[in-house]
Amino acid sequence: MKIESDISEKFDFFLFFTVLALIIIGLIAIYSSTLHNPFAKGNFLKQVLALFVGLIAFFSIYSAPTNWLRSATLPAYATSIFLLLLVLVIGRIAGGAKGWIRIGGFGLQPAEFAKIATILAISQYTSKSTVNIDTVKDLGISLIIGLFPVALIMLEPDLGSSFVFFTLILVLLLWKGISLFGLFVVLSPPMVAISSLFGIYYIIGALILVAIAILLFRRDLFFSITILAFNIAAAFFVDFVMGILSPHQRKRIFSFLNPESDPLGSGYNALQAQIAIGSGGLFGKGFLQGNQTQNQFIPEQWTDFIYCTIGEEFGFIGAIVVFTIFALFFYRLFKHATSNTHEYHSLIVIGIFSVYFIHFVINLGMAIGMMPVIGIPLPFISYGGSSLLVNLSMLGIVQNIYKSRKQHV
Amino acid sequence: MKSENFASDNRRMLVKGVVFLIFVVYLVQLFRMQIIDVHLYEEKASGNSIKPIEIAPYRGIFFDRNLNVIVENIPSYTVRIIPQDYDKKNNEVLETLLALEKGTIEKFLIKNKDFGKHIPLKLKRAVDFKTIGFLDENAERFPGVDYIVEIQRGYKSGVSGAHILGYSREISNEMLKKDDFYQPGDYIGFTGLERKYEDELRGEKGFQYIVVNNKGKYTGKYENGSKDAPAIKGKDLVLSIDKRLQIAAEKALAGRSGAVVCIEPATGEILAMASAPDFELAKFADVLPKEYVQALNNNPLKPQYNRATLAAFSPGSTFKLLCSVSALDMGVITPNDYLPCNGGYQYGNRFFKCHGGVHGAISVVRAIEQSCNAFFYQLIFKIGLDNLANYANKFGIGRRTGIDLGEESPGFIPTTGYYENKYGKNWPRGIAVSLGIGQGEVSITPLQLAHFAALIANDGLSYVPHLVKGYLGADKKIVPFQFEREDLGMKKEAFATVKQGMYLVVNGNGTATNIRMNDIVIAGKTGTIQNPHGADHSAFIGFAPYDNPKIAVAVIVENVGWGSSFAAPIAKLMIETYLKKNNSTDSTMAVPVPVGGHFED
Repeated sequence: MKIESDISEKFDFFLFFTVLALIIIGLIAIYSSTLHNPFAKGNFLKQVLALFVGLIAFFSIYSAPTNWLRSATLPAYATSIFLLLLVLVIGRIAGGAKGWIRIGGFGLQPAEFAKIATILAISQYTSKSTVNIDTVKDLGISLIIGLFPVALIMLEPDLGSSFVFFTLILVLLLWKGISLFGLFVVLSPPMVAISSLFGIYYIIGALILVAIAILLFRRDLFFSITILAFNIAAAFFVDFVMGILSPHQRKRIFSFLNPESDPLGSGYNALQAQIAIGSGGLFGKGFLQGNQTQNQFIPEQWTDFIYCTIGEEFGFIGAIVVFTIFALFFYRLFKHATSNTHEYHSLIVIGIFSVYFIHFVINLGMAIGMMPVIGIPLPFISYGGSSLLVNLSMLGIVQNIYKSRKQHV
Repeated sequence: MKSENFASDNRRMLVKGVVFLIFVVYLVQLFRMQIIDVHLYEEKASGNSIKPIEIAPYRGIFFDRNLNVIVENIPSYTVRIIPQDYDKKNNEVLETLLALEKGTIEKFLIKNKDFGKHIPLKLKRAVDFKTIGFLDENAERFPGVDYIVEIQRGYKSGVSGAHILGYSREISNEMLKKDDFYQPGDYIGFTGLERKYEDELRGEKGFQYIVVNNKGKYTGKYENGSKDAPAIKGKDLVLSIDKRLQIAAEKALAGRSGAVVCIEPATGEILAMASAPDFELAKFADVLPKEYVQALNNNPLKPQYNRATLAAFSPGSTFKLLCSVSALDMGVITPNDYLPCNGGYQYGNRFFKCHGGVHGAISVVRAIEQSCNAFFYQLIFKIGLDNLANYANKFGIGRRTGIDLGEESPGFIPTTGYYENKYGKNWPRGIAVSLGIGQGEVSITPLQLAHFAALIANDGLSYVPHLVKGYLGADKKIVPFQFEREDLGMKKEAFATVKQGMYLVVNGNGTATNIRMNDIVIAGKTGTIQNPHGADHSAFIGFAPYDNPKIAVAVIVENVGWGSSFAAPIAKLMIETYLKKNNSTDSTMAVPVPVGGHFED
């Protein structure tokens, strides 16, 4: 008995089992959704293989000494930047395989790995004793650390991942304790930039709001004008970027913003997804009995729309089960973030938490028609080697931090 | 440093609030979809499901420069099987009907068993109309068998153009990965212009949204077809080729091996390009018979090889024109300079012979007319090997011309660096002597020769040689493609002098007086290319009319001997056919018969 309680002090079994449950649900859904698809038939086995590799990564990361995290940050960050550059170069040569590097029959997605590296980097930097997040210099550096990978990812272009990154950086800054003003400084340029996509009146409107906010904040003149200038620049930045993109890339961005304009794209997918889920009813149609899934009516039904298989075959009861497990998972993770008083570790955990949660929100949102289709997988459930590997690695980091939490009191 | 707001209670509340909100909103939405509206969705799922059907776009066709159709699309019937409804008892009958080997259908069904049972599989393409008619009339006997109309290339214009036009094949897996336009089973341009201009020819796929029930059976159009996107047909290309001229060129080479290339000097447009032996494109458009491909591959003359762009020959005496124009432009000789020919040229301890006796002191114009070797043995040293290589490159020799066809050989022009690498610093200079008359390491393709002739004809001004003028726009007007201009920046007088020599070759006392005509003034140069493996090759380059050149020609015929006897008459035929547009001269001249020619040139 004593040994068991010793182990559970160093390893969060509860968290681990919720993840295993999600992974098993994922495997069931992948099996069902790929059974009748000649092109995706191997995916179930590939996911099992990825699971084994992921578990090895998980346990390796877990067993490493915790201060290893600090020393691994810079190499991980540098490697991520390198891989992101590589994928841009290779993509140009091979004709655009969308942010993937292919080795043999498997694909590697640098944007996924960059997430971990960026969380570690920002957490480490902002928790330094000499860093004050409310100074221009330190905030600026934090933003550069976070936005550098984002810029590269936007060039692919992978707008879905870019959005995840933005939100991730925001959460980290928020948790770190950035002041309201700091938040305003960080959020206003992107808001203005987005408004510029809707037309000149929106830009003017947004800039007026920004000016009013600046006045209300009552900072010194120089500072205020700089921020206003920054926002004006942001308005033109979008225009500038559109100008240097190729027509192919521009088309991708516009169809993302306006799915109705792309009849082959998300409009059709989303509709099919909703039919599948809705027709599942209370109990679902049964394992391997969902005719939408089995007849391959939903595109990407083992990745972006994996939830449709669950929704169709296991119904609303299935939804309750999946949501409950996810709720327990998020609850547990959040508890780790809040109970850990060590700033650096707390930031890492909340960063990891937000990656999982943002993915959850977007992916399920896509399936039920409340989010635009931007290609974000459901953690532990969607098919995808890179994704599973990264998610298990992040879990390993969380467990690692849990293991050593008593040391820093 | 820890901010005072680090993980503050407010921020925790914010995160918890957002998570809670999302969970509630999503569960409510799911409840609405799966409990409240379940019947609505169930009906849609079981009775109605939307499927996008790809609509294949009409592939662009080819016209000649006068808008005659060269390649068209003809309908072709493809028989399909839908496994769900198909009765295997019909295997034997169907195999007989479609002339398939016994057991083919069984194997076919097994091979494709992973695809959904209601997805139609293409069993056989290019089925004849009679068979289709029979299948149609007896449809009840053949459940699960249908047919669709696909498009196949038709070649009914009389032009063979095998090497120019090229053919399409089913797309390979590697190509599938590189471009997401294509689906497995699609055709893609594989060789020639079909390949080079694939992007323009392929058009854009359309989509038709149909509604099928959960068994995959068609039940109607989705939203009355209002969301359908029509296929956009590919661009029809207008070639620079002249149909009559091309047919004449192919006929002229029939039974021989060699190449003919005709270019319009002012524009670089290729009026005809033929390479023999060739093959039938129609066979590739259809289901390709295995024996045919094997025969092609086993033929030692390599019919699939485009000699016009890939076969690099020693140019023989035609090379003398390059030496002449380079020397005149450099100023190392003038039209009034004379070099001695005493039946040959002594270099070191070797005497290089000039045929045709002793020419005495000879000027450049006459040296061209008579094809005097001795003159050029000496001229090459005056020019210098590297200078000559430079000029050669200007003229598109020793490098790729940049033709819009895909693979081409750059040929080769040696430099001092090349000889030094090969033989060391003290390489035997005597090797360079025979370069003067176009023998040795130098090699040129027929395309390069024609391009060279075009540049001479137009005083060093032309465009990169090309086969496609542009595409046919909406109002039947040609929308031109842009091609790079070429301006050699050389002296007009240099060209004038060389052209004078070429004039005399045909109209004076030269080596091709057998093709002199009264009504059209042709200028040119013969060449006999020595062939160590057999009979020499016959070559001729030229242009006409002399005063205002409209066509430049290069002809090489393999293994037939003297340039004047075989290549020159073909060139004359080309010129005549092209310039005399109203005559039916193409029927008067058959394959030229060697006329006892002049002395060796």
